Parts: sequence; C-alpha cells; structure tokens
Amino acid sequence: MAEEDMFRQFKEHSVAEFFKKNRQMLGFSGKVRSLTMIVHEFVTNSLDACEEAGIVPEISVQAEELGEDHYRLTVSDNGPGIPKSHLGKALGQMLAGTKFHRYLQQRGQQGIGASACVMFSYLTTGQPAKAVSCHKGRKVTANISIDFKTNKPNVEALGDEATEERGLMVTAEYKDVRYERSNYGVYEYLRRTALANPHCSITLIEPNKERAVFPRSVEANPKRPFEIKPHPLGITTHDLLEFAKHNKENRKITAFLQNSFSRVSAAKVEELRALTPDVNLDKDPADLDWNEAEKLVKAFQQVKWIAPSMDSLVPIGKEQVEASFRSIFNPEVLVVTERSPKVYRGGIPFMVEAGIAYGGGLVGADKKGEVMRFSNRVPLLFDSGGCAITETVKTLDWGRYDVKNFEDEPIAVLVNLVSVHVPYTSAGKQAISPEDDVMEEIRLAVMEASRGVQRYLSGKRKAHDIATKKKVIGRYVSQLAGDLATLSGEKKDRIEKKLAKIIEDRYSGPEGGDDEEPAGDETGNGKPEAGSDSDGGEGE
Amino acid sequence: MSEVDKKLEGMGKQMVGEIDRGEGPTFESTLRTRSNTIFDEAVGCLRTGDKKEQRKFLSMAQARTFMQTVAIAAKTKQFLRENLHTSIRGLFYQLKFTLGEDIDEDLFTEQSESNALVEDLEVALKIKREDLNLTTDRKGFVAGPMTILDRFGGDDTLIDLEQQGRSGWSIPSDVDNGMTIKKLDADYVLVVEKDALWQRLNEDKFWKKENCLLITPKGQSTRGTRRLLRKLADKKLPIYCLMDCDAWGWYIYWTIKTGSMNLAYLGRDFAVPESKFLGVTMSDIKEFSFLEKLTIRAKEVDVKRAEELMSYPWINRHPDWVRELKLVLKTKKKLEQDALQGQRLTFVGEYIKNKIEKKEWLT
Repeated sequence: MAEEDMFRQFKEHSVAEFFKKNRQMLGFSGKVRSLTMIVHEFVTNSLDACEEAGIVPEISVQAEELGEDHYRLTVSDNGPGIPKSHLGKALGQMLAGTKFHRYLQQRGQQGIGASACVMFSYLTTGQPAKAVSCHKGRKVTANISIDFKTNKPNVEALGDEATEERGLMVTAEYKDVRYERSNYGVYEYLRRTALANPHCSITLIEPNKERAVFPRSVEANPKRPFEIKPHPLGITTHDLLEFAKHNKENRKITAFLQNSFSRVSAAKVEELRALTPDVNLDKDPADLDWNEAEKLVKAFQQVKWIAPSMDSLVPIGKEQVEASFRSIFNPEVLVVTERSPKVYRGGIPFMVEAGIAYGGGLVGADKKGEVMRFSNRVPLLFDSGGCAITETVKTLDWGRYDVKNFEDEPIAVLVNLVSVHVPYTSAGKQAISPEDDVMEEIRLAVMEASRGVQRYLSGKRKAHDIATKKKVIGRYVSQLAGDLATLSGEKKDRIEKKLAKIIEDRYSGPEGGDDEEPAGDETGNGKPEAGSDSDGGEGE
Repeated sequence: MSEVDKKLEGMGKQMVGEIDRGEGPTFESTLRTRSNTIFDEAVGCLRTGDKKEQRKFLSMAQARTFMQTVAIAAKTKQFLRENLHTSIRGLFYQLKFTLGEDIDEDLFTEQSESNALVEDLEVALKIKREDLNLTTDRKGFVAGPMTILDRFGGDDTLIDLEQQGRSGWSIPSDVDNGMTIKKLDADYVLVVEKDALWQRLNEDKFWKKENCLLITPKGQSTRGTRRLLRKLADKKLPIYCLMDCDAWGWYIYWTIKTGSMNLAYLGRDFAVPESKFLGVTMSDIKEFSFLEKLTIRAKEVDVKRAEELMSYPWINRHPDWVRELKLVLKTKKKLEQDALQGQRLTFVGEYIKNKIEKKEWLT
C-alpha cells in the first residue's frame, strides 16, 4: 500500500472516529434525542435566517420512516435561502468557535450546526444531503456531503434555474435515530418551539402521515436582539484569554480592554492598573498569560462598575406567550408574568418569563405537572433532572396555591430564561445550572404566576363547594319535610316549598353561601330575608 | 296525648317555626362529653353539665344526621301511636330505605348511625329510649320474694319471682311502662356480678334463707337492671353488691352507684348512690387466709383502672375506697368472687351474711 493511501485512510478514519467518539458531547446520544437534535439544528437555523431577513417564519418538517431506526427528514422554510456560493460552507463544513465572538442573545448557543447533521447523515447512510435553495430569484438544487480528508464540502450541483419562490429545503437520511411521540421527541420539541415563538408557523408531517399544525399566533417578528460587548463582571479568566487571542485591532491591553468590554473607560483602566501592579497593561494582548489574566479578572471584581446595559435582552413577551399558549393548549386558566432584567455573577444580564396554564386543553393533551423549560426561546427537553428550572418549580410549595398535587394535575409551567450568556450545566446545553440569582428570579416569577392561578382556582373551588352544598343538602329536603309534617301536624308540601326556597336563596351565586360556613354558626342575618318573608306570606 | 308525644310534637313545631321565619331548622342537644359530665354531690350521681350544642340542617357536615334524627323522632311517634315496641335494630330496618328514586343514597346505611342519634334524641327531649317504645336486649336475672304485674301485649300477667326455678326472672328492658311491683317482702337486695355465682346461691335458696332479692346483671348492668335497682332502692331496700376485685368489678359497681358518663343525662334515674360494695376486697385476705393463695396477678388494665378511679372526685372522697385501691396498687394482685368457693361451695353464703352483719363494706 502506498504511503499516501495509508495517510489518506488514516485521515479519513480519524474524522469519522472523532465524530463517533464525541457523538455524546455533540448531543447525538440516544436515538430519539439524536433526531430531536437534528430537527433543532435545522429549525433554529431557519428561524434565525428568517428573523435576520425580516421574514415571518413558516417552517415545515417532515419525517419519513425508511426502515428500522432509519428516517428521511426534510426541513423547509420561507427564509431568504442561501446563495449558491455559500451552500457548501453553510451545510458541508464543520466550523468551530465562530459564534464565540458574538456576544448576542441567540438561539445558536445550543448549536452544533447543520453541518454536523449533514455529516451524521453521511456517516450513518453514505448518502449526501439534498438542498434546494431559492435565493434572490435563483433556485439551486445540490447534493452536499463532507470530504473527510480536507473537511471541505462536496457540492454536486443538480440544477440552477430562475424562480419566484424563496426559502431553503434540506432533505437527508439518517440511521440510528428514532421517531417517537414522547416528551423527548420531535413533536414535543416543535410544539414547544411554537409556544416560545408565537410569530412562527410550524407544520409537522409525522412518519404515519399525520399532519400537526402549530399556527402562528402573532403576526410580527420579535424585536431583533442586538450585540453588546461583555461586561467585565461576567468574564472568566478563560473568556479573557480567548478574547485576547482573537484580538486583532488593539496593540495594547489598555486599548483592548476599553474596546472589547462594556463600561470600561480610561479611568477604570487606570484603577485596574493600580490593582495589578505586576501586570504590564501596555503590552500586546496576545502576550497575556493565564496568571496575568487571572489577576485582571480578580481586579474586575474589586472595581465599581456601571451596571451592564439591559437593552440586549428580548423576551417573548407577556401577550405573545399568552397568545401562543391559548392557540396551542387552550387552557382554562393562564397567567403569564414577566420580570424585569437582573444580573447574575455580578455582571451577566438575564431575564425570566414564566407562564402557568391550568386545565382546559391540557386535560385533553394529557399534560400533568409539566415543566416546560426554555432558554432564549429554545425548548430544553433533556437533562431536566439537574436543571435549575425543574428544581425550582418542583420544590415550590404548590399546596399554598391551591394546587394540591402538582404531579397529578393538569398544569403546565413555562419558564423562559433570556440571556446573552445562559449558564448551562454542561456542554450538552440542556440544563440551567443552579446559580443563586437565577434560581431566585425563576422562583419569584413562578410564584407570581402561581398567585394568579390560585385566585382562579380558589374562586372556582368556592363556587363548586356552594353548588355541592346545595345539591347535598337539597336531596334531604323532601325526607325532612315529610318527617317534620309527621311531628308537627303541618302540611308536608308547605314545609318542603319553604325549605327549598331557603336553600335556593342561601346557595345561589358564588357570594350567596359564603357567610354561612366559615363562621360555623347560624347567623341568620346574612341572607335576603325580605324575599323569603314575602314568599312565605303568599304560601299561607 | 302523652308527655313524650307532646315533646316530639314540640320539636317538630319549633323547626317548622324556624322554616316559616326563613331560617334553617336547628336542634339543640346537651353535649355528651367527659368535660360536660359533673358529679352531683347532693344526690351522689353523675349528671350532664349545661353545655349545649346546636345542630343545623344548613350545614354540609350536619345535614344528613339532622335529617336522620328527625326521621327517628317521626318514626318513634308512629310507634307510640300504634303502641308497638321494637329494638334499635328494628328501628334501623324501618328507616333503611332510599331517599328517592333519583337519589343514590339511603336514609340509613349502618345501624351504628342510628344508635348515636337515638341518644341525641333522648338527651334533647330529656326522655328515655324506652319512652319511645324502643327496647334493648335483656341480660339480668332476679329471684326472691317479689311479685310483679306485667301488662304486655294486651294481657296482664302476675309473676311470682319465688316461682322461677333454676333460671330466675329475666329483667325486661323497660321496667317503667306497663310494669308494677305488686308485692315486695325482701329485707335487702344482693347483686352478684356473675351468673355462675347467682346460680350457686339460687341452688342454696339463699334468697329464701336470707329473705332477699338475688340479682345478677351478668356483667355490666343493662338499663333495665339499673332502673329496677333504682326502684328497689326507692322502696328503701339496702342494695349490696358482690363483685370481682378487679377493673371490671369496680366499673360495674360504680356504674350502678353513680351512673355512667354515657347516660349521665338521665341522672338519678339510672344511679343507685345508696348501693354498697360488700366485696370481694383485698382486705378479705387478712380475715380469710385461704384467699391468699387464690389471688391473681393484677394486669396492666387493672392497675390503670385503679389509678383512674382514685382520680375521680366522686370516688376519692371515700377513704375506704382509697385504702382498698392503694392496697391493690401495692400488692399488684386481684381476686375473683369465685375464689370464695375455694374452700367450701357454701362458704360464699356465710361470707355475705357475715359481711352484712358486721357492716363490712365499702361505700
């Protein structure tokens, strides 16, 4: 065997091996989860592309079963499409770390990229992905795969024609995945995506050809989040070194600090200099070592900073959450709260939205004690056990809010954590780590919503109690009247009519029976005597 | 119209009056709890205190029992009118029917429901269940120089209690209505706890030799037995009791003497404060040494009961009782009345005569 062949084989092998060995880390663990991850990659790409182009998103997902654990997945959108020249790069090249520089509230934080999905497809089936992109009047069709030797995309053009259409459609086959209608499956993922993105319309065609439509409930795209520079208080030593490594414009650390981070002025740099006498702030940022970076980060904590700007946070919005909840679950009760922005770790802005839905459509959907977690509108379906949101919701004393048994009642709690930097517990990015400030905000948001639900439930229970009372006591009236007639020698009919009237008066309307039970004694003055008196006169 | 009839009618009229005024009907009864039980020192019996409780029809918790109580009242009014008697169980079956075709609920489902409500009614109307033509099971027996006229089922029967052979006359549940004492020649009444001892003494013709009435309640006394004892005490006959020296024996005696908490609302009618406790006592061992060997180790319940009795004000005011109970607590022993037959079968008769002669009793 020639030496080059061996080398090529090795290289080819290594990329494939790397992927296989690191599948879990990339989120491809478990057959159901893998399929959900793939859908997630394409759908978030579509949402981001549409929003960036100012288009109200319309997304369609179709899963077809080709064999055991073998599916074809098609995701299409009405976005701007991808120009022919960029198709390969967008779908057939593994890119690392490109998103790091963008300090922006974005969905892609979870992402491993669509390219990884194309690679997963190619590795498990040997088939290229097929892309149809309609961009600026041209409709380009191409097969795309990844050349393992060079990590370069293979683009096999199949057609290029004029079109009126717009959008992107990617079809690929996958093995070692499974479609399931569980809490971890594609259906639930899309339903929750629709819940947190009321401006988008999602259609799902399931392997059994059933079509599920999650219609849009608001007509306009949300405000675009804009990029902000990180605040010094939210920076770790590692972050600082990464920023310094990627720095190109600034020759000195002093300038680098002022230009890369928010709220860092020349005066603040001088304060930092005083706090770190053995760090030379006039040298090239690229020369910053771990030790020096650590000293700087420590100094960050000692300086008094102006709080970070909160403008970068874009929540779903109270009305929007309400609208989507109603359109998807149509619950009996719905209370949504939106808290004002806060910071955690002293400098990272975040914001919590919470919504609680109870009864109604949740009963039909068989949703009980459901915790719906989102970060920047992206549903978190996995690793719920170690998540700050789950922890906070499940440990709440629900009894105080008239929810007797959280796990067993038709209740769904939605929590969306909005931040430019969501504190995940691990690289899987499916669980929020239990930061004290974050947990406290989640707790307050959920409690606030719970109070609204409680008001409704207790009112409902009271009305129900009164109705029950009327019914229970009412069924004894005839017997009692008969026996009283026997004892007193009066007419049964007359006694029965009057007694029925008393009960009717006392237990009509939610406020009617209210005065009787709590005091536990006969007051006799809280009810409309006038009415029953005149009626008594008639009966004589 | 009888007194009881009037009370039942009054109860109905009061409730209908409330309904006419647009109010929910109510029903007032005396609270039958330990805390509302007091000891009437002048008479020497337990009575209920003044605490009342009001039942309301317009209450989720009370509506059903309210209706049931009135149903019992109405049903017993009917029994009285027809002059027919039945047991509480018979009453229960009379009232066990559905509330209506479209109502999936019975007026009564368990007899235990009706039992407590009968007591409520007795307390509220200050009457005895026997007055409502409700009978209870019989248990006690009598023999001795007494003749009774029993007016029952349309017949008058004269019963001579000296002519009852080995079985004795069975005390009915109601000794007040339709029953009169025609002849009574006895000098005293002897109450023995156990039927076995009663049979022993009956065989010896103890009642004839001693010219007394020999009664056994067969354990705890029924209402009929207690009423009979009350009536006999009213005829100025001394009442002597011979019980076991243990928890049960004391309890049976004190129920006869002061009445029970449960029936405290009936007061003196069901209490015989004049009765005296002949034995057996722990002090008997000093006099009759053979008893020493016949004692039994006191059980936990006996010790507890002895302590409890000493805490009751109506018992610890008797120094002789306190002394006796202290002795039991000290020796941790108890003694059955049957032990008196240990030496000779006929000894028990001598023991009783001896005790009465020497006035050796606890009060």
